[in-house]
Amino acid sequence: MTAFVAASLLVAVAVLVEIVLPGRALYHAGWYNVALAALVAVAVAGGRRAGRGGTRRARAAILATLAGTAVVGAAGIVNGLLAPDNQTIVGAPGQRVRVESLGTLAFPLSAASADGDAHVTLERPLHFPVSVGARSRDVGSFILRAIDRSVVAVEARDARGNRLTITQPTGSAFLSPVLLMQQRQTIAGMDLPYDSFDVPAARRVVKAVLFSAAQSALFVRGGAQIGEPSVLFAVDDENERPLPRAIGLSAGGRPVAAGGLILRGVVETFPAVEAFAVPNALATALGTLVLLGGLAGLLTRDDRAYVPQDDASLRELDAFGR
Amino acid sequence: MPRPIVWAVAAAACVVLAFLLVPLFVSPNARQTGPEGLAGDAAPVFALRDDRGAPVSLQEYRGRILVMNLWASWCPPCRAEMPDLQRLYERYSDRGVAIVGVNEGESPERARAFADSLRIRFPIWIDGAQRYGRTYAALGLPTTVILDRRGFVVRGFDGALTFDQMKAAVAPLVASR
Repeated sequence: MTAFVAASLLVAVAVLVEIVLPGRALYHAGWYNVALAALVAVAVAGGRRAGRGGTRRARAAILATLAGTAVVGAAGIVNGLLAPDNQTIVGAPGQRVRVESLGTLAFPLSAASADGDAHVTLERPLHFPVSVGARSRDVGSFILRAIDRSVVAVEARDARGNRLTITQPTGSAFLSPVLLMQQRQTIAGMDLPYDSFDVPAARRVVKAVLFSAAQSALFVRGGAQIGEPSVLFAVDDENERPLPRAIGLSAGGRPVAAGGLILRGVVETFPAVEAFAVPNALATALGTLVLLGGLAGLLTRDDRAYVPQDDASLRELDAFGR
Repeated sequence: MPRPIVWAVAAAACVVLAFLLVPLFVSPNARQTGPEGLAGDAAPVFALRDDRGAPVSLQEYRGRILVMNLWASWCPPCRAEMPDLQRLYERYSDRGVAIVGVNEGESPERARAFADSLRIRFPIWIDGAQRYGRTYAALGLPTTVILDRRGFVVRGFDGALTFDQMKAAVAPLVASR
């Protein structure tokens, strides 16, 4: 009986922990899920043994406990083995990003909303839209949380000051002047985010490397003031051949001339969404309730089964050493 | 344990497993990407300025069918498509159809010079921050989005359209007045 109860409770705790502390790689590890399945098997075997020779009420309580354990265990194992790994979903301002098995994430148009906190909206068929902010939101089989990332809003002009269209043929949004800076490059031992964009009207391809305020203060000379992030632009022709005098630094959002263009990079923060697959909340909650109900039924069965009714009952109990 | 209870538990277990597994194999949202996938959505509205500097908004076009064309002067297919848009404007503007050309990312001077060179008479708006391009999921230029009288996206097109394609997209909306 003890092993059965302990295994059932351990299954519930192991699965509930996945919801309370989401995002750990451990939950998708094979051994963790094998252990979870083994605990369910121990509970089932222990429950069958405990149910033999018991009253009808005791058997029903054990059955409820096992059913709850099986549901919670299945929710945990399905999540651990079949659900996607943790992911960070990035999108350009105003972009709608479709995520398999989750829905469509609509990113805000600008970095900050009226309350100062930019929210991404999750849209799913037959569901109300869910606003995802810095606080974790449970949306069934996923926990979502918005995190701030640094992005760079770029502007390109020709030598006469006319604004030029910016495109990102390899970016997440073709017609976006906001670079999401998802690639990394090491320069002088610093791991730096970078991105690239095209200026089709000028037949230029531009690479932009982001230096944080601290990195700018340490490394960059020529205009960067302490406390200002900066963007290094390297301009190539349309065949990605380097051009003369085509490297420039835009510090603090100030324009810089490079490769026949006047470029400006403004560093902003913009939300991305972290998505952690978790055991289905509804199945876990129902399974846990059934499990606890079964255990409560077992406990009350104990209380009532051994209430002495008369002297004969007491003598019978004494015969069992109680 | 009574056999019916065992069967009931087994059936319940199957239902729970199906409930847990099905979402992992079925995409909850099978909409297309790009402008074609916008059909049925309310059109996002931003305040912009036209090529003369006057404030403009999509709100002004509620109650009319709107053909919104995203373009840029450096884009050859955009240049090829513009005369057909002008022809559509001439044929349908008195039948409740409005056409707006939204320039993506260029200066008003450049956009106006381009429109004048092609004798374009429909309104030209300037979207310097390229907000329409990213919000309407443009995969390239030109991109054309057709809105109904309530301001909902009816169809989105990636790439240049011929006059016949434009007419085929607009005519049913005009007829459904």
